[in-house]
Amino acid sequence: MLGWGVDRLRADMSRLLAILFHQGVLDEQFLQLQQLQDESSPNFVSEVVNIYFHESEKLLRNLRGLLLDREFSDYKKMGIHLNQFMGSSSSIGANRVRNVCVAFRAASEQNNRAGCLRALELLEHEYCYLKNKLHELFQMEQQRVLAAGARYPLQQQQQH
Amino acid sequence: MAAMQRVASSLGTSASTYGSCKGAGVKVSDQFPAGLRVLVVDDDITCLRLLEKMLRRCLYHVTTCSQATAALKLLRERKGCFDVVLSDVHMPDMDGFKLLELLGLEMDLPVIMMSADGRTSAVMRGIIHGACDYLIKPIREEELKNIWQHVIRKKWHDSKEQEHSGSFEDNDWHKQGNDDAEIASSVHEGAEGVLKDQKKRSIAKEEDDAELENDDPSASKKPRVVWSVELHQQFVSAVNHLGIDKAVPKRILELMNVPGLTRENVASHLQKFRLYLKRLSGVAQQGGISNTLCGPLDSNVKLNPLGRYDIQVLAASSQIPPQTLAALHAELFGHPAGSMVTTVDQPALLQASMQRPKCIPVEPGMAFGQRLVKCQTNMSKRFPQNVVSAEEVAPGFVAWPSNSIGTVGPGSNLGGMSSQNSNMLMDLLQQQSQQQQSQQLSSLPEPSRVINVQPSCLVVPSQTSATFQAGNSPASVNQNYSRSPMIDYSLLSPQSNNSSLNIGQVSNGDLKTTGVSGYSGLGSISSLSSCSVNPDNSSQQVQSSTMTIRAARQLPGLGPDISNFQGSYGAKSSEVLDQGPLRNLGFVGKCTSIPGRLAVDEFESMMSNLEHEKFYMEMNGNKVKQEPNVEFTDNTRAGIPILSQLPPTSSDLMSVFTE
Repeated sequence: MLGWGVDRLRADMSRLLAILFHQGVLDEQFLQLQQLQDESSPNFVSEVVNIYFHESEKLLRNLRGLLLDREFSDYKKMGIHLNQFMGSSSSIGANRVRNVCVAFRAASEQNNRAGCLRALELLEHEYCYLKNKLHELFQMEQQRVLAAGARYPLQQQQQH
Repeated sequence: MAAMQRVASSLGTSASTYGSCKGAGVKVSDQFPAGLRVLVVDDDITCLRLLEKMLRRCLYHVTTCSQATAALKLLRERKGCFDVVLSDVHMPDMDGFKLLELLGLEMDLPVIMMSADGRTSAVMRGIIHGACDYLIKPIREEELKNIWQHVIRKKWHDSKEQEHSGSFEDNDWHKQGNDDAEIASSVHEGAEGVLKDQKKRSIAKEEDDAELENDDPSASKKPRVVWSVELHQQFVSAVNHLGIDKAVPKRILELMNVPGLTRENVASHLQKFRLYLKRLSGVAQQGGISNTLCGPLDSNVKLNPLGRYDIQVLAASSQIPPQTLAALHAELFGHPAGSMVTTVDQPALLQASMQRPKCIPVEPGMAFGQRLVKCQTNMSKRFPQNVVSAEEVAPGFVAWPSNSIGTVGPGSNLGGMSSQNSNMLMDLLQQQSQQQQSQQLSSLPEPSRVINVQPSCLVVPSQTSATFQAGNSPASVNQNYSRSPMIDYSLLSPQSNNSSLNIGQVSNGDLKTTGVSGYSGLGSISSLSSCSVNPDNSSQQVQSSTMTIRAARQLPGLGPDISNFQGSYGAKSSEVLDQGPLRNLGFVGKCTSIPGRLAVDEFESMMSNLEHEKFYMEMNGNKVKQEPNVEFTDNTRAGIPILSQLPPTSSDLMSVFTE
């Protein structure tokens, strides 16, 4: 019974990942991220991704705050936020988010406020989708670990 | 090698020093580059965490900092406790470049910049500010594995200059290759002052060290004067005003009127500038230089606009007189073959060009080639015999540039490569000059070879092959290798991968053979290796282009120093060639299907170190092997996009334009 659950979960995870890759939501950098996870840091992926979520939400809030301000004119500052968002997104393999950032940056360089607003909405949308999918993935991983054996989750939870 | 060991041991020592800083005994000298002490500065925690993990996997000692000010404080407190710094460009409390400059001034640490912004302009800024390298996010582990080279390089150059005080040749040479490619790649930016400033900085770093070491070894290192773009512009305008001959540091200093600048600073900068000019004069910038030399006559033409000037000039010109190139490049690649024009002759060259151009009205719109020709004819008269031999070969050679440059020049053929056009042109010119050089070199011992090479480019449509210098560009090629993972040469090549293709002996006699031998040189470009001998027409054309590119690289006498430069050129020209008129499928076909023309043993002799053994195997074997072609075809297709992404950067230099 347990074995069946593990296999199924694993299959589900693979399928989800395949879909995400196919959609371009994730790219090969995510695989690199997964490869960095080893015995010395068994929760590395979820750690980093959670940091990413935390930072990204800050950035998104800043961006929104900047754009919604009537007297907004500091495109340079927006560019800096975007740059960071682009850097972290590309580093974890969030491909679509990064692409929207690129378009966003182009709009901001042209001082195109309307374009920036549109890009921001798109960015938030993509980010939400990514976050949901990755949460799904992590939940499946947790369940898989649980199903694989009682010892493991305890150890891992203790580590971090 | 002794220097290397010294460096490694010094690093090991410093590692243990670091260990003592931390209070823990760290012993890493045997396992270098493991134990390299890296400081990472990035305000983006995600990236910071990722980098830390990746660097730890590379067995480096990692310290992370999310704030530049904290990092600076840490570095100041613990001087000598770090080997290399990785810093992000955009940080809230301090600009990454500012940190870079401060670090460069205060402590001689190699600093690698990182950014999500991979646009050429951004990377260019990194170069200008003196970054050892510029990594574009997302950063992969493989890139981080290699950062130790910057540490070694820096220490090696420093120690080398201690050993050979005053003779910068080797270092300069290596830097030359890098710098030329940097120039080539940055030329299209049109940043004139940037171009020279960047070269200045690279020269300055080396020679500053040497001067500091030689002049005052006991004193502590003085803070280096940062020759910023503006400062350099002032310097150059002062020099232009005075005239390059009459420019003395004291007068320049007065003209510049910069507080805090000393005569010594100006003197050393002037020395570097002069060397730089010498190099430039060989790179088809003669017209500009000769103009400058007759400065009083035409003060409009300044040296600074050389960057843009090159592009227009190159685009306009369809001919580069080989004599000039030959002569001038003799100095560049000054192998003492005895008959080469050595650096000693350089002043003579400049003299020669100086006397004549006075009669030449300098017009900005004047075709560069024309000016060159005029200058050249004068100079050639004064040249020793070896140049004459180049002239003999000239007719054939001259014909080539018009064809190839004509192809490349308009840029319309290069689908979407306009920005790289000038780079290629620069490369082309430099290649030509190098080729001339190599021809000169080879002409003395084996005249037949030179001549053989020449006609081949005339006869065979894929002419560019002959023009390529036989430079091994292991560095650049390796870069290409890493960039094009899909191309898998190991499948076909049983030979060692690191052999650099070196057609040391261009085969005698047969035109085809020469052309083919050119092909054999193709191995050096990994990305181009996708062009395998393929009976299929469509892929053949790509192949021929790549093959010619490689061939060009393989000329005797040129050391690996050129390779970097040529590597970049090869990458670029391959693109050009792909789109250009190199559709001589027959050429490839001839190579493969008419083995009688090919002296297999000649190939063998030519291919001492083939990076691209596949090609070797195919050529050397009886006929084209069909099976590998399948893979190649795929690679061929892939090769082109890869090529378009390949910037002319060999390690340092290549990394600039790395994607």
